[in-house]
Amino acid sequence: MDDKYSSNVISGGKLGRVEVPNARLTRYIVLLLLTKMLKALGIFESYDLLKVVHIVQFVFILKLGCAMILLFFQKPFSSGKMVAKRQWIKIFKHAVISSIISLLGFFGLTLCGPLRTLLLFEHSDVVVISLLSVLFTSSGGGPSKTRGAAFFIIAVICLLLFDNDDLMAKMAEHPEGHHDSALTHALYTGIAFLGVADHKGGVVLLVLALCLKVAFNTHSRKLSVEIGGAKRLYALSNLVSAVVLLPWVIVLSATTESKVESWSGLIMPFAMIVFSVMILDFYVESICTAKLEAPCSARYGSIFLFLSGLLLANFWTHPLTDQLRAMSKPGQQASTEHVLSGGVLVSACFFILSDSILSSPSKKGQKGTLVGYSPEGIPLYNLMGDALQHSSQSLPRFIKDSLKQILEEYDSRQIFYFLCLNLAFTFVELFYGVWTNSLGLISDGFHMLFDCSALVLGLFAALMTRWKATRIYSYGYGRVEILSGFINGLFLMVIAFFVFVESISRLIDPPNINTVMLAPVSVGGLIVNLVGICAFSHAHSHGASKGSCSGHEHGHSHHGHGHGEHGHSHGGHGHSHGHGHSHSPGGRGMNANMRGVFLHVLADTLGSVGVIISTVLISQFGWLIADPICSLFIATLIFLSVIPLLKDACEVLLLRIPPEHEKDLNFALEKIQKIEGILSYRDPHFWRHSANVVAGTIHLQIMSDVVEQRVIQQVTAVLKDAGVNNLTVQVEKEAYFQHMSGLSTGFHEVLAMTQQMESMKYYKDGTCIM
Amino acid sequence: MLPLSIKDDEYKPAKFNLLFKLSGWFRSILADKTSRNLFFFLCLNLSFAFVELLYGIWSNSLGLISDSFHMFFDCTALLAGLAASVISRWRSNDSFSYGYVRAEVLAGFVNGLFLIFTAFFIFSEGVERALEPPDVHHERLLPVSIAGLLVNLVGIFVFQHGGHGHSHGGEGHGHSHSLFNGSIGHDHGHGGHGHSHAAKHGHGHGHDHGHGHGHGHDHGHGHGGHGHSHGEPDCHDDFSHTPGKGSSKQILQGVFLHIVADTLGSIGVIISAFLMQKYDLMIADPICSMLIALLIGVSVVPLLRESIGILMQRTPPSLDHALPDCYQRVQQLQGVYNLQEPHFWTLCTDVYIGTLKLLVAPDADSRWILSQTHNIFTQVGVRQLYVQIDVAAM
Repeated sequence: MDDKYSSNVISGGKLGRVEVPNARLTRYIVLLLLTKMLKALGIFESYDLLKVVHIVQFVFILKLGCAMILLFFQKPFSSGKMVAKRQWIKIFKHAVISSIISLLGFFGLTLCGPLRTLLLFEHSDVVVISLLSVLFTSSGGGPSKTRGAAFFIIAVICLLLFDNDDLMAKMAEHPEGHHDSALTHALYTGIAFLGVADHKGGVVLLVLALCLKVAFNTHSRKLSVEIGGAKRLYALSNLVSAVVLLPWVIVLSATTESKVESWSGLIMPFAMIVFSVMILDFYVESICTAKLEAPCSARYGSIFLFLSGLLLANFWTHPLTDQLRAMSKPGQQASTEHVLSGGVLVSACFFILSDSILSSPSKKGQKGTLVGYSPEGIPLYNLMGDALQHSSQSLPRFIKDSLKQILEEYDSRQIFYFLCLNLAFTFVELFYGVWTNSLGLISDGFHMLFDCSALVLGLFAALMTRWKATRIYSYGYGRVEILSGFINGLFLMVIAFFVFVESISRLIDPPNINTVMLAPVSVGGLIVNLVGICAFSHAHSHGASKGSCSGHEHGHSHHGHGHGEHGHSHGGHGHSHGHGHSHSPGGRGMNANMRGVFLHVLADTLGSVGVIISTVLISQFGWLIADPICSLFIATLIFLSVIPLLKDACEVLLLRIPPEHEKDLNFALEKIQKIEGILSYRDPHFWRHSANVVAGTIHLQIMSDVVEQRVIQQVTAVLKDAGVNNLTVQVEKEAYFQHMSGLSTGFHEVLAMTQQMESMKYYKDGTCIM
Repeated sequence: MLPLSIKDDEYKPAKFNLLFKLSGWFRSILADKTSRNLFFFLCLNLSFAFVELLYGIWSNSLGLISDSFHMFFDCTALLAGLAASVISRWRSNDSFSYGYVRAEVLAGFVNGLFLIFTAFFIFSEGVERALEPPDVHHERLLPVSIAGLLVNLVGIFVFQHGGHGHSHGGEGHGHSHSLFNGSIGHDHGHGGHGHSHAAKHGHGHGHDHGHGHGHGHDHGHGHGGHGHSHGEPDCHDDFSHTPGKGSSKQILQGVFLHIVADTLGSIGVIISAFLMQKYDLMIADPICSMLIALLIGVSVVPLLRESIGILMQRTPPSLDHALPDCYQRVQQLQGVYNLQEPHFWTLCTDVYIGTLKLLVAPDADSRWILSQTHNIFTQVGVRQLYVQIDVAAM
């Protein structure tokens, strides 16, 4: 623990605040830590106590004990100025509200268990106020605060939804057992009326009580100044609330029989709770707020509290902690302990995060940190922290930016919408599956989730394609989309293979399928996928015309073809027609990434269709064999449809000459040969890097009396017409070979070059003679 | 007359019958040690799978049948490797101007992806089983998995040994290079001619020949490479456990990883079967499979990263540090104003290709600049360089 807080302090210092943790501050932090641990212990203790003692009695005893001790220490009557009558009324109001809040809090404790109460109820005012200001005012205090608020809300939702507490199910069976009074009964019926489990009601109750507490604390600040110190107010208010609660307690103990066997055995635990929860915490909190800064103490306090709460929750039922418990119980209630579920752990993490974010001092107030004074006596500020704040991107902004990027382009927008649809369907399926506890639906949901990964991959690729080229990836990231298409295709192949194998094994031994839940789910899936197919096949035609804008001839012709515009390149028109027919339906127009995604969706659709057909056949005719045959068929279909994609992607990855440019390039090469001054060319390499980059390199041998620049320009122009837009031309003259052979760069290379040159020379001579 | 003869040429391949083609493939498979090893191991694996399948059908045990199908799936990795090692030796033609060398990278990538898929499936299965451990029949499990382990151990042994043998060969290696880019392969076959650039050759080859030259027959030009390859031990340590450091490093790495994964799988099954039989620890099986899946996943990542880098035309990592230096040297050449659009990428293992454009002064000696630039980049191992010299407008 010591290590923990010291590292915290160091990281806090890094954030750019002035105060350096020195030994004095560490002392207070240790004090805070001890207090919080004791408080957590006290709350766990009081949870145990509340099982036997009625809540009103419990609160009364706490208030009374606290008031007694405080009267002794604080002497509110003898010290300070007299309290006027008007002030007494205010104190009375204060006391009533405070007792209501503590009743609510402790009632929540009985519902949710100690750990959840700690997590929900014990936030300091600073945290809650900044949370509320983020939520309900426009000037929340920057992105970090928003992030903190989001964490807080996530944590609460985690507690509400993902916290499966067995105890709650048990308690729900016999809720009457605990109803001791009209108050609790009313609350119980209220919660039951809302249709949520007790423990969820408790969570809501605690959150409400927390807000109430904070509002109450802020309002009572003025009163405490009037009265003369918070401590005096606290003492007086405790006393008054004890007095207020007294009649109720008397009525209660008169009407209901107590479950407590001996009150004397409870003195120790009560004393402990009064000391740790009410008094020590109050004093240490006030000291730490004074010595440390308020946000700082709030942060450490809540972190320590949560951590010790987690620890205690883990070990509370452990036999070792029995010594720690002041109240020894017979083990009758061992089964009704609240369990430590994953949801609680997650939400605890989120609470800790959000507390540390929300309680960090807002940068608005302190623009910079004081570093010293200038010779003229003007204070100098260091704006380091502020600058850092600006440079660090906030999460919402990051999301917004990437969303904007996604929505900018047609492809990624399409994928994104479909992904959202798919995810929504999946989650509905999962929730429904969890709700109805059907394993089939859950597993199907997970399969859907897995399918979504292909979409995510496609989306990511579509985003990444637009990244700028870096020094390392000098051609840019355009290849990502081809790779992603390739991976998607492979993925489909693997899936098809497994489906194939599975269906063969089912063909041999057809299992009994219960077709009850199958049909609606697969119809839903079919609809979703049909939407996807519509979207993507639209994207296909659109994509074709889009790719056209970048790719020169080919594209323009497509454009004319697709939209009936008057193409300015009629030759290209005819040409593209030939292409359009020669290619598979998923054709070149769409990039590999989109094709991969499209095929994936298609495969899913086929799968749902197959399931529907086989369901119908099975339920109508009882042909169990229909299912494996359907899946065999589908697997083959998928397999066949993926092959063209894979072939194209492989060709690109193997650096093939782009097939649609092949003819043009051959023409261009012939043309190059005819350019004046060019003897020959060597090593022409052309390859498609990505959808709109075709790179090429070529060596040219030219006569020694030709201007190189002109040749380069001509060649570049010719090849650019053929669609190569990233070209490097190396021009070689005869002297170059002498240089190279002088440097002897590869014997054979030079040999080949000179041979070529010589043959060219002969040829030239021959032509000259002719 | 002429068209006729051309037509004749075009129709010639169509006359090849299947048998001839098959025998041609067969011969080319057997010609190279790597592909021979791959082929034999594939045969072994396939026969094992068939025996398993037949036995499964005979004894009507579904488990055996499905296991044999899994074996078939595993064989696809080997098949991919084999196909790649044959394809990568095809000559370049008009369409594939660089030849098919990239097939090896692709094969490594595909193998890596398959492994990732397998690991993922195993992992999800493991999680599922950890949640509710099924009843595993472990009577039949043990013999099958032990047999599988034996087969895979043979595979590991063969590929490690094969890797060594391969690099002992040295010669064959050079030839395989020479097939796909003629001038380059020969270049290093006979590189010893020029004494002045021993260092250069060493740099180019030290990487792929490391072991080969250590024990190699041809000391002649080997010494340059030898010394140099020792000079860069860090390059070697990365791959010191991968079997072959030859032209087909990616294939071999992929296949080797696959076999190791299979071996791990069988070991895991054996251990868990043992634990289940002795101690009734039903949880042992899913935990074992999850661990194995994690192991596979982690071991595949480097291979995947490397091959993705190559496929995306990344600047070769081994040139990362050398290149800025080279740029500086080129820019210091007399008459060079600027260096634009430098693209460097890996064609296949250790074949680097670069293109760049130089902006030079109108009065500069472009031929001298060209050859100097070539010289500078050849020294760091760029085999093919295309330099476009643009004269700055006055």
